Amino acid sequence: MKENLIEEIELVKSQTDKLFNKLLKDVERQKKIMLRADKRQKKEYDELQKKLEEVEKLQIAQKNLLESFIKLIASAIDTKSPYTGGHCERVPELAISLAKKVSEDSSINYELKNEKELEYAAWLHDCGKIVTPEYVMDKATKLETIYNRIHEIRMRFEVLYRDIKIKALERILAGEDKEEVEKWQKEEFDRVTKEWEFIARVNVGGEFLSDEEIEKLKIIASQEWIRYFDDNIGLSWTEKERREITNIPSVETLLANKKEHLIPREKQLSEMYKRHNFTTKIPELENNLGEIYNLSIKRGTLNNEEYFRIQEHIMMTIDMLESLAFPDDLKNVPLIAGTHHEKLDGSGYPRGLKENEIPIEGKMLAIADVFEALTSHDRPYKTPKKLSEAIKILFFMAKDRHIDKELLKVFLKSGLYLEYAKNYLLSEQIDEVDINEILKKLEEM
Amino acid sequence: MKKIESTKYTPEIILDEENGVVEIKGKSYPENTFEFYKQLMDWLDEYFENPQSKTIFNIELIYLNSSTSKFLYDLFDYLEEKSEKYEIEINWIYDEENEVAEETGEDFKEDFEEINFNLVVKEE
Repeated sequence: MKENLIEEIELVKSQTDKLFNKLLKDVERQKKIMLRADKRQKKEYDELQKKLEEVEKLQIAQKNLLESFIKLIASAIDTKSPYTGGHCERVPELAISLAKKVSEDSSINYELKNEKELEYAAWLHDCGKIVTPEYVMDKATKLETIYNRIHEIRMRFEVLYRDIKIKALERILAGEDKEEVEKWQKEEFDRVTKEWEFIARVNVGGEFLSDEEIEKLKIIASQEWIRYFDDNIGLSWTEKERREITNIPSVETLLANKKEHLIPREKQLSEMYKRHNFTTKIPELENNLGEIYNLSIKRGTLNNEEYFRIQEHIMMTIDMLESLAFPDDLKNVPLIAGTHHEKLDGSGYPRGLKENEIPIEGKMLAIADVFEALTSHDRPYKTPKKLSEAIKILFFMAKDRHIDKELLKVFLKSGLYLEYAKNYLLSEQIDEVDINEILKKLEEM
Repeated sequence: MKKIESTKYTPEIILDEENGVVEIKGKSYPENTFEFYKQLMDWLDEYFENPQSKTIFNIELIYLNSSTSKFLYDLFDYLEEKSEKYEIEINWIYDEENEVAEETGEDFKEDFEEINFNLVVKEE
C-alpha cells in the first residue's frame, strides 16, 4: 500500500517534472522567437527608413533637375537673341509678383495657390522660340532677312555696265570717233563681265583662295561708281548707329569694308570663360560684314568672327549643361558633351585639353560628330561627300592626332561605318572603301 | 507525391513519399499559420505510418513570421520523437546574405541536439 503510494507519487512527480520542463522549454522558445522577431522588425524598419530617405533624396534631385532644365531652356532662348536677352528670366519674377498682388487685392477673386506651377509656366512661356530663326525673331526692318549680298554686288556691276554705256554715249555726243568708242565700250563690257564672274565664283567658297586671287579681288573692288541716293534712310536704329553719314552724290567703290560692317561685341564672355577655363581666343568684334573682308576668306565661307560663333556653341552647351542639377549617376554629362571638339594634340576647343584630359566618351562623341557632319547631305553650304572621302578625312584626323586612332579602328573594323552609311547616306554617296588598307596604315602609325 | 503551390504569403510544400523527401521553400507569413501547416502535419501522420528508412527535410525559408517559427519548433519536436524510430535529416538552407534566416536556423540547431540538423549555405 505504502509502496504503491510512493510509486504513484514518484510517477506524478516525474510527469509534473516533465510537464514543467516542457513549459520551461516553451517559455525559452517563445523568448527566442520574440527576440528574433524584434531583431527582424528593427532591421526591416531601418531598411524602410533608409529607402524612404533615398526616395526623398531622389525626389529632391528630380525636382532640381526639372527646375534647372526649365531654366536652361529659357536662358537658351535669351542667349540666342541679344534683343530679348533676359526676357525669359524676368517674366517669371514679374508674373509671380503680379499674382501675389492680385491675390492680396480684394477686388479680384483669385488666390495664388501653386506658385511653382506659375513659375515654371512663366519660365517656359517662350520656349517654342528655340525653333524660331533669329532673323525672324529679331527682324528690325521690313526688308531685313538673311541675304546673300552677291545680288547687291551684281546690281553694282549692272551700274558699272550702264556707266560704261553712258560714258560711251557721252563721248560720241562730244564728237569722238564712234567706231573707236564702241571698241572701247566692248572691251570694258568684257572686262566687267569677267570681273563679275570672278567675284561670283569667289563667293561660293568651295576651293582655296590664293594670295594672287585676293590681290585681284582688291583691284576689282577699288573701281568707283557714284551713288546719288541717301543710304541712311530705311534703316533700323541699330544699323543707323554703326553708319557714317556721307553727302550725296558720293563716290563709292565697287566693293568695300566699311564702318557700318563692324558689329561690336556686346555679349561679355569673360565671366563664363573664367568659370569653365575656356581658352579659345575671343575676337574683338561680334562680326565683320565687310565685303572685301568676307570675300577674302581663304577657305570655306566663315570669317574669323563667325567661326568663333560656331565654336561658341560648345561653350554654351557646357555652360547650360553645367547649370543642370544632374544626379550623381549623370554627373559626367557636361564633361562628355563638352569635350567633343577637343583634340588629342591639345589644339581643340574650348579648353585645349590634352589626350589624357579628354574622357573616352568625349573622344567617341567626337568621331560620331565628325563622321555625321562629313557624310550629311542636308547642309546648304557643302556638297555631300562620298563615304571613302569621309573615311579618308577621319584617317588624316587620326594621323594628325585630332581624333583617337584606336577608337577609329574599332569604328572601321566593326563595320559600323557601313551600317550607318546604309541607313543614312544617299546611295550615290556609298562607294568602295579599302578598309583593310586603312586599318593597316592605322596600325603602322 | 503531394504538393502545395507557393503563394505570395506561403511557401511551396512537397512531400515525396517514394524518396522520403519533404521540401518547404519560399516565404512564410500566412495570416493563420497553424491552419496553413495543418495539411502538412496530416500528410506526415499518414506518411509515418509507413515511412522510408530515411526521411530528409529540406527547408529553405527566405522570410518567416513568428508563428511560423513556433510551428517549426512544434514540427521539430514531432520529428525528434520520430527520430527515435526512423532516420531523420533536416537541412536548413539559407542564402549567405540572409542573416535572419541563418540565425533562426542556429536557434533550431541549438534546441534540437538529438536530431541531425544541418545548416546549409545555398550554392550560387
